[in-house]
Amino acid sequence: MAKKKTFVEDIERTLYDIKDADNSAYKSESGLTEDIIRDISARKHDPQWMLEFRLKSLETYNKIGLPTWGPSLADLDMDKIVTYVQPDAKMTGNWKDVPEDIKDTFDRLGIPEAEQTSLGGVGAQYDSEVVYHSIQEDMVKQGVIYTDMETAIREHEDIVKEYFMKLVPPKDHKFAALHGAVWSGGSFVYVPAGVQVKMPLQSYFRLNAAGAGQFEHTLIIVEPGASLHFIEGCSAPKYNVTNLHAGCVELYVKEGARLRYSTIENWSRNMMNLNTKRALVEKDGIIEWVSGSFGSHVSCLYPCSILHGERARCEFTGVTFASKGQDLDTGASVILTAPDTSANINTRTISKAGGKATYRSAVKVTKNARRAKCSVNCESLMLDNESRSDTLPVMDIEGADADVGHEAKIGRISDEAVFYLTCRGIDEDEARAMIVRGFVEPIAKELPLEYAVEMNNLVNIELEGTMG
Amino acid sequence: MAENLLEIQDLHAGVEDKEILKGLSLTVGKGEVHVILGPNGSGKSTLMNVIMGHPKYQVTSGTMKFEGEDLTAMKTFERARKGLFLSFQTPEEIPGISVENMIRTAKQAITGERVKILPFRKKLRAMMEELKISPEYADRYMNVGFSGGEKKRNEILQLLMLEPKLALLDETDSGLDVDAVQIVSEGVAKFHNDDNSCLIITHNTRILEKLKVDKVHVLMNGEIVEEGGAELIDTINEKGFTHILDDAQAGK
Amino acid sequence: MDTNEIYSEIPMRTWRWLGVNEIKTPANIGDDIKKQEITVEAGQSDELVLEHRNGGQHETVVHVGAGAKLHLVLAQLVPTDAPNSSYTSRVTVDVADGGAFSYTGAELGGSTIASELTVNLTGKESTADVWSLYFGDGARLLDLNYIIRQAGKKTDANMQVRGTLMGTSTKNFRGTLDFLEGAKGSVGRENEEVMLLDEGVRNRSVPIMLSHEDDVDGHHAVAVGRMDEAKLFYLMSRGLDLEEAKSLVVEASLRPVIDRIPDAKLREEIDSYLKGRLANG
Repeated sequence: MAKKKTFVEDIERTLYDIKDADNSAYKSESGLTEDIIRDISARKHDPQWMLEFRLKSLETYNKIGLPTWGPSLADLDMDKIVTYVQPDAKMTGNWKDVPEDIKDTFDRLGIPEAEQTSLGGVGAQYDSEVVYHSIQEDMVKQGVIYTDMETAIREHEDIVKEYFMKLVPPKDHKFAALHGAVWSGGSFVYVPAGVQVKMPLQSYFRLNAAGAGQFEHTLIIVEPGASLHFIEGCSAPKYNVTNLHAGCVELYVKEGARLRYSTIENWSRNMMNLNTKRALVEKDGIIEWVSGSFGSHVSCLYPCSILHGERARCEFTGVTFASKGQDLDTGASVILTAPDTSANINTRTISKAGGKATYRSAVKVTKNARRAKCSVNCESLMLDNESRSDTLPVMDIEGADADVGHEAKIGRISDEAVFYLTCRGIDEDEARAMIVRGFVEPIAKELPLEYAVEMNNLVNIELEGTMG
Repeated sequence: MAENLLEIQDLHAGVEDKEILKGLSLTVGKGEVHVILGPNGSGKSTLMNVIMGHPKYQVTSGTMKFEGEDLTAMKTFERARKGLFLSFQTPEEIPGISVENMIRTAKQAITGERVKILPFRKKLRAMMEELKISPEYADRYMNVGFSGGEKKRNEILQLLMLEPKLALLDETDSGLDVDAVQIVSEGVAKFHNDDNSCLIITHNTRILEKLKVDKVHVLMNGEIVEEGGAELIDTINEKGFTHILDDAQAGK
Repeated sequence: MDTNEIYSEIPMRTWRWLGVNEIKTPANIGDDIKKQEITVEAGQSDELVLEHRNGGQHETVVHVGAGAKLHLVLAQLVPTDAPNSSYTSRVTVDVADGGAFSYTGAELGGSTIASELTVNLTGKESTADVWSLYFGDGARLLDLNYIIRQAGKKTDANMQVRGTLMGTSTKNFRGTLDFLEGAKGSVGRENEEVMLLDEGVRNRSVPIMLSHEDDVDGHHAVAVGRMDEAKLFYLMSRGLDLEEAKSLVVEASLRPVIDRIPDAKLREEIDSYLKGRLANG
């Protein structure tokens, strides 16, 4: 049984683990100095304000200390991280023009296929630069913009300048400052007022170079009354050196607009995933987060929603699966600052084989948020006692008008439930797998279909032969 | 005499160091309906769990055979695949697994064949209607938020869909109102035919009204103390269990 | 500038901006610590009522021996207008095999309150049944940190906290259930219910659950909100005015804790104190 497990696990990751030869056109020196920042900025043809922004962020980065809470970041040595890796490819809107080796990678991951069947647009980033971006013609006609950030700065400088790192200022924390200094790539989406984008847009991020960092910036603006579903996928092959992902996502959901942001993160287990995601939601707007964290060595990920306008709403659905060698610290934060705002947070975490899963959250209700409502439900499942599972939610409520409820459970697979299923002819391993799948089902059903299937496969593989 | 389906000989079983079943023997023939009566704590539910192989209980001696095959070494799921079915006294809630998914997965496991979705769904709908379970329950999670009566009807639904050879019904009628007992008893009657058997624990004779009871066993303190035909039910209802115990002791 | 030292910390830190990682020692409280040690020998059973009516620092160390039982009642009734109304209390308890520690706490007075309760369920099948109430009134600051560590096999922890906040009071309650490796078969329940009465209040609730053992069953819940309008309406339809109805609803929520106090005189004192404060509010 143990043999089988190793075997299957190898197959599973193969898809992600195929390393392409490092054919990058240019790589920055490792570490972080003003010269490196100036060099990256010059190569990216930044406008002057962006160069200044980068340098100021570097200054901030050097001033701020590491977080005093959360997973250990001891494995991260910034002096060894290559912050900028330019692939040997120009951004293109034609799949044919993408270089063969890079195309093969995305082909293996099923990206072009998904584009043809179920997506309204696709972006693909390889190391530090976006190599492919496309969007359906009729969306362009409606004024929808979906492009890489570099193009956005060139063609829509005013908009970018107005929103870029306004929601996540570099001084927010050390890795936000780092991001501000070395960011590269990412997607820019603009949905004009009243436009309903029917098919999801998907950006796929792939980090191929060993010891590199990926610092993509995603900026999405959904104007009043518009709606969008954006999907983000991340993966990388496994290396023995530490890779770093410190992306930043800024989402602006305007009055009456709706945005669903789905993420499946399956970074290899040498990745430090220190991502910052934040949404600002105006009156009657809705932000829906669907977040699956399966990969990486260390993750710190807590998408934040600021409910700024009356009746703004947040729905957060998340699942985290921490296995051997993983320390996944995930959760959400919601800040309710306007009357009649509401938030629902619903998460599941699983830990196994010495993995550590932490649910961390913050719900803050300000005095102005009259009649605010918030409910949090988090459940943790431990598959063995080598693993750790921690829950650390904080609720901070001002005024007497809020209604906040929180519920959390922790435990293992119920023996009685296993017995019940085996009484129906289902063998023990399958019974356990069914229970685990059932445990994450409320989350799985929110994921885009292909990701839900991927998650189920992942659960099956992780459980194979380890129990019973 | 019908051919024997379940044969239990001198069964001793219990939890940790406490013996609960103390030399129990019982034989159920093909096509028969048996009823087990007995006061609380006499070992009725233990017997059902031991027949299914609940890991909490250890069999210390005796034999259990199903269609002539020794059950004791078999795992629970193997017993279920042989044709045993237990309707639980308190059915488990299993979040995330829908009723339909549960039954389809079980059916596949038992038959070893892929279940065709459309005919399966059609049959499921029909059975649900029969048991007065509204159709949306097919998509609901197993027993989560179900009332006591709904849980029991869900057990009978599985019985009808999985078509076992021997149905073990552990107080399937307990805690139900009159109408619900009626539905459950009709469900059991619909299931039963000449090729399958029922072993029923009950406190309530209403569930038996639509069935022809072949044999009644009275279980007390881990042993069968009295056996007889359907008429024994009336005797117990009139005189209670202590009467039997007194008679048995007088007999000794 | 607040330079005073850390009095108590949560077992796992989180974002600093939330202000819940630690409790500071109140300013000018002095270095004098009133210490008390309570030992219940193996197999013995006892009940103790402590009334803290003066500010300053308090420390109570409790040992519950194998198979022993203790019900400890700690009522903090420091007059808010006393010259030194700042108050700290640290209660540290260890419970041996089969020991049962039961606690009833009431934080009712004082101005700045720092209170820590740590129960170490070291023995197998040891239990902790902790019930506490707090009452925030005026500009009171209540900073509470309760931790139950479950180390032994088959331990049972129950933490039930009820509170009411009015005026411009601030309360931070941190409650941790920590299942250590080896605490097989242990169960833990934690529940906090907070009723908010006035616009000026601030409530922070931090229900922490840490687990290094899979064979456990842990559950925590927090409910924060205003008074149930339907309940108020019901009571008013029976002839109570708004203030009376409010007072009754608050009392009802604190009742399960108050009723555990064995001393009838103390119970009455708490009742009339609460009634008086609610009527003024």
